[in-house]
Amino acid sequence: MKLGVLVSDYRNMEDTLLRLTADTLGIILVSNGVYHAKVKENGKTSPVLEKSPHLYALLEDIQTRGLENEIDGRVKSITYNDLVDLIFGEYEKVIWI
Amino acid sequence: MAKLTIGVFSSLVGSLSLDFAVKLADAAVKKGHSVDFWVSGNATMLSKKEQRAFKDYSALQKTLQELMKTGNFQATACEACAEARGYHKEDTMEGFQRHSMDWYLASGFSADRVLHIGGD
Amino acid sequence: MAIKKIAFIVKSLPYKTEASRLALTHAIASQTVEIYLEDGDNVEPVLAFIGDGVLNCLKDQKAMNAYGVTSLEQHLKNSLLLDLKVLICKEDIGKFSLSEDSLIMDAEDIGGETKANIVPFSEIMKEMESANHLMFF
Repeated sequence: MKLGVLVSDYRNMEDTLLRLTADTLGIILVSNGVYHAKVKENGKTSPVLEKSPHLYALLEDIQTRGLENEIDGRVKSITYNDLVDLIFGEYEKVIWI
Repeated sequence: MAKLTIGVFSSLVGSLSLDFAVKLADAAVKKGHSVDFWVSGNATMLSKKEQRAFKDYSALQKTLQELMKTGNFQATACEACAEARGYHKEDTMEGFQRHSMDWYLASGFSADRVLHIGGD
Repeated sequence: MAIKKIAFIVKSLPYKTEASRLALTHAIASQTVEIYLEDGDNVEPVLAFIGDGVLNCLKDQKAMNAYGVTSLEQHLKNSLLLDLKVLICKEDIGKFSLSEDSLIMDAEDIGGETKANIVPFSEIMKEMESANHLMFF
């Protein structure tokens, strides 16, 4: 399964995202999920960033929260246009959590 | 081109999830895809006509109406959810359909992708 | 002629938000979806409760008495009455120290024959893999 997960929250990932398995798992940070790309809680980067090598974050949501230029280097910034291409081109199923 | 069904439960005012969904729909339609847009629960607020735009609140009516003109976008509200909130047929924005929840599942049946955005 | 499977994954607590209620009502709506489809086409729903969502499955909910609204218990029983496949995550009921006796496992009192199943998360993951679409509530 090629699964794209739109992560929209900063909290409560243990019961959902961190348990998911897929042949290809893409993590797309949107809304408050973009904080995973920046915040180092107690000095540690978010475990969400360790879950997959396929990491994206929505540029508009990064900019909205004042996080531009400060996101983790593993995370690729994308536009809504890019997101449409990811949804149709890279993943068979998409979920929002 | 492909079909995307988006289901949203989040409120128009008090959450930006509905803004996200409309922006995604807009990007998909501009790329030539078709979009079915289902609003249920608090998201049925989006179907209300005569929304006024204020800078402190999300205002999506204009974008929605432009999307509807493309012919590749259909918006449908959960009828029971709307009625429960006092949004009656005569209160509904022109072009916005109202159906029961099975419409959403039927839309998903023929969709290439479904993005379901649960309520906040 | 095609059957499309939709997995309704409930991860939210009940009552404070409408999320889990809408999961159940939308899943139940699969029973009438045929009116929009071609002959022979249909939607197969599967309902799975994970994480905090397993707390929707507790017995003895009295939402009708307290707030005048249908309880999640009643919706879950209606789902079983309609023979929907219902899965409850084993690891999560363990995490919350819940016994099977405390959970809504059947709808015998309203004439239902289908039972809910307590399964490991890996089984729920398999259901997600075989589904055409996933909806998280």
